[in-house]
Amino acid sequence: MHIAEGFLPPLHAVAWGAASAPFVVHGVRALTREVKAHPESTLLLGASGAFTFVLSALKIPSVTGSCSHPTGTGLGAILFRPPIMAVLGTITLLFQALLLAHGGLTTLGANVFSMAIAGPWAGYAVYRLLRKSGAPLMVTVFLGAFFADLVTYCVTSVQLALAFPDPGSGFLGALEKFAGIFALTQIPLAVSEGLLTVLVMRLLMQSSRSDLVRLGVAKLTGGAGAQQEATAR
Amino acid sequence: MLPIDVAAHGSRWRGRHPLEKALLGLGLTVTAVCLPPWPGGPLVAAATLAVLLGPAGVAGRQLWRAFRMPLGFCVTGALPLLVSLGGPAGFVSLAPDGPRHAGELLLRTSAASLGVLLFAFTTPVSDVLPRLVRAGVPAPVVDVALVMYRIGFLLLDSMAQVRRAQAARLGQSGRAAVWRSLAGLAATSFVRAFDRAGRLQEGLAGRGYDGALRVLVPRAALSWRFLAATAALLTALVAGTLVLKELYL
Repeated sequence: MHIAEGFLPPLHAVAWGAASAPFVVHGVRALTREVKAHPESTLLLGASGAFTFVLSALKIPSVTGSCSHPTGTGLGAILFRPPIMAVLGTITLLFQALLLAHGGLTTLGANVFSMAIAGPWAGYAVYRLLRKSGAPLMVTVFLGAFFADLVTYCVTSVQLALAFPDPGSGFLGALEKFAGIFALTQIPLAVSEGLLTVLVMRLLMQSSRSDLVRLGVAKLTGGAGAQQEATAR
Repeated sequence: MLPIDVAAHGSRWRGRHPLEKALLGLGLTVTAVCLPPWPGGPLVAAATLAVLLGPAGVAGRQLWRAFRMPLGFCVTGALPLLVSLGGPAGFVSLAPDGPRHAGELLLRTSAASLGVLLFAFTTPVSDVLPRLVRAGVPAPVVDVALVMYRIGFLLLDSMAQVRRAQAARLGQSGRAAVWRSLAGLAATSFVRAFDRAGRLQEGLAGRGYDGALRVLVPRAALSWRFLAATAALLTALVAGTLVLKELYL
């Protein structure tokens, strides 16, 4: 859910922009280092960003019967890591604001913080923790995508509650209202996104395992793995 | 291509320098956000609509199609302002001044959205991106954004084709089939994106690619008359809003 243009008061818009800036700058440095070391990465990173942009154009059926689109933040963070995702997410949000009228330029900082920073980091943290604990890949992918989606919407609710506190119960009351509308209704959508991400990952394991190995998501198996191990020795 | 970008490529103002249009469109957006919503919102919205439908030559129907999306979010986001939780009136009650706050929010958001749409409907993204390097954005980031922009449209096109093929093969005939088709669609996009990037890489390597994507940017000179008119319009809107607020509110 993108916060629309002009929705946040000026001070909040500037503050969220300032909060997002260090993460985006960190991502830009990581991306610049990567491109300088491997010039061919420009095209792969561009393809990754285009995939993220296109993913948000998919319509997924919700458990409640309605329809929504995936945020793609969980899958993006698992495949490309959160720092890179901060930059790709920022560019994607900029394109969505200019090409689709989703989100906005004054609210870009707030949207970047929820969708390109908080969501991907939360999803990636869950994914890494579960991977280290030895959980099966598809379980970690599902929970990573689920939490990335849900955290994105929870942070959006916090942003809106801070901007529009309830006249009676203040920030907490407003959080209850916005979370009731955006975060609670998002739970079935987060489940849907988790399921879709698992299905996508399963297909990718079958059709693009080499790409996943290069991205560090999957390990080499069988003949290819043994061959690489032998070369390393 | 997406409808807004198609309109931008055929815009009457296509030849104008992007900085002129950015100062006008984003200036109107910032004015709408910073001025008091009443009477600032309606004044800025009326001025922006007049520029959009008049000199900029944007079709009304296209504008409405693009505008109704942010409007939907604004209405949903404004609804919680109508009610209050807790307090002496009970667990849920109508918020004092709720309708006024919601109305002001809708005015501000609508006016601000129109400002961005003015920029988007007159300036193709491909005209803006290469110029960002001069504005201090690192070249590798701009290059990645350019590749994203170009591959994005191809992927959207191929996704539409895959979706049509899936529908023709009963891929939308039941809930399970819809899920299978969606997963296939997303995975196909991933594979095609990486495949296209690989082929682009090979093509560029054959042409002496050194890590920088150089593109031709259409030449455009800044018009001081346009900039002066923009400054005059923004000043008039600020002054008009403050005077009206002082006199009548």
